Amino acid sequence: MNRAKRAGRWLVERAEDRGVWRHVAIYAASVLLLLLFWEVASVVIRSLKGGREYLPNPIVAIREMIRLGPLLFTNFWISAWRLVLAILIAFATGYPLGLLVGHERRLDELISPIIYIVYPIPQVAFILILFLIFGIGHPVKVAIVAIALFFQLLVSARGAAKQISLEHITSVLSAGASRWQVYRHVVLPATLPSILTSLRVSIGLGMAFLYIAETAGAIDPERGGLGSFIKNSAYNTGAQFAGILAMALLGFCLYIIIDIVERIVCRWTYAARRSS
Amino acid sequence: MIALRDVVVDYGRGARAVRAVDRVTLDVPRGQSVALIGPSGCGKSTLLFAVAGLIRPTAGEIRIADESVEGPRRDTALILQNAGLLPWKTVWQNANLSLFLGREYPKLTADAVLEELGLSDVKNRYPSELSEGMKRRVGIARALSTSPQVMLMDEPLASLDTLTKERIQDLFLKLWARHAFSFVLVTHDIEEAAFLGQRIVVLSARPASVKAVVDNPKMGGLDYRKAPAFRDVVLRLRTELERET
Repeated sequence: MNRAKRAGRWLVERAEDRGVWRHVAIYAASVLLLLLFWEVASVVIRSLKGGREYLPNPIVAIREMIRLGPLLFTNFWISAWRLVLAILIAFATGYPLGLLVGHERRLDELISPIIYIVYPIPQVAFILILFLIFGIGHPVKVAIVAIALFFQLLVSARGAAKQISLEHITSVLSAGASRWQVYRHVVLPATLPSILTSLRVSIGLGMAFLYIAETAGAIDPERGGLGSFIKNSAYNTGAQFAGILAMALLGFCLYIIIDIVERIVCRWTYAARRSS
Repeated sequence: MIALRDVVVDYGRGARAVRAVDRVTLDVPRGQSVALIGPSGCGKSTLLFAVAGLIRPTAGEIRIADESVEGPRRDTALILQNAGLLPWKTVWQNANLSLFLGREYPKLTADAVLEELGLSDVKNRYPSELSEGMKRRVGIARALSTSPQVMLMDEPLASLDTLTKERIQDLFLKLWARHAFSFVLVTHDIEEAAFLGQRIVVLSARPASVKAVVDNPKMGGLDYRKAPAFRDVVLRLRTELERET
């Protein structure tokens, strides 16, 4: 018991050291501010639209969220793992390929025109053919999001790899680095901060594509994901906003995870901020 | 130890080739020091990179320890202008970069080198947390950690304030006496060349070719900066640099 208490105190002290409480307080304040805006918007719309409840107030949405708890929770998890899986697939393919294309000039000359042609196409344009290839189950939803994010990450990784300082490469080459070691010790770490930023952007984009994928075609109200949950609640704005809140929560969780990953793998950028 | 014979380096090919280094011949005996001085952008760094094995000469030959230089060598260390530290590695990791790259060096233990350079207290910091002077010392530690026979330096102390610069020059002189490597220093700082070079090679504007060689036999003491011989050498270097052709 004593030990648990000590561990608890240690955790609290560590949190205090890192200013975690301050962060929590600021987050709470900003969430309150958002709810306030929402409430005001809801009141304004209601008065403009003759008392009709187009935009439910936050309390209604949160009450619906609790009422629909288990169903919402199931759909939350379905969307969450689809999105996370798609991000991981896009990251594992787009990032290394982007680094290669950005760093190897010959490859860049060959591949870049292809990227420039394919990237601007909205990937949802392929949605029909993807449904034909993957059927209507989970794979097609993951595929649509993964394809969209693949290009996103490919293009940013390529850009980041082109920004690498020649001095750092000379530095490891003169120390006898092989081609692979240049990637391992320079190209990879140098591009990590910007690829994590682009991963944050990808969350919003991925969420939009996931919504499209989950609402296109047949809708499964029980296990269709948050997109189909929202679309399916078209006549209950309270439930609809409960679904939207759940999507916001999903995005928020992913942002926090990326923040934590960044603090671990890009420690040096925090050291730079501390000292300046 | 280092021998250059009619070394030519061109950038680009064919009609668009630009000559950076023009027929440079130079010898650096074992344990001796040579400073290369010349105007900015004259091609002296290019020459140094060729000696480091990073650039292949267009013509001529470079030999270190009687072997033709074909690429970066185990017995040669290069110190770059801004120390070339990797921002994502700690001082300790930077100092051990060559070991990280997995090659078997006849190494001093890295901790001993960091201790020698007064960096033990900051070995877990990142470069961004260090002063400029400290960063340059980490660069030197990185080079020393491999116990090199040859040390190549590309304006290692550029843009430091005078006192910091002189302190590191003093430190470098001590390290040279203790570790007995041969070194080539590229600089555009006349006093630095006169303080650290046993022989100073004055290079012409681009393409770099040898304009004059100034011997500096009395260098080596920490109080050399105050000696009349130092001032004579500085004056001669200035005259040679200002001379046209």
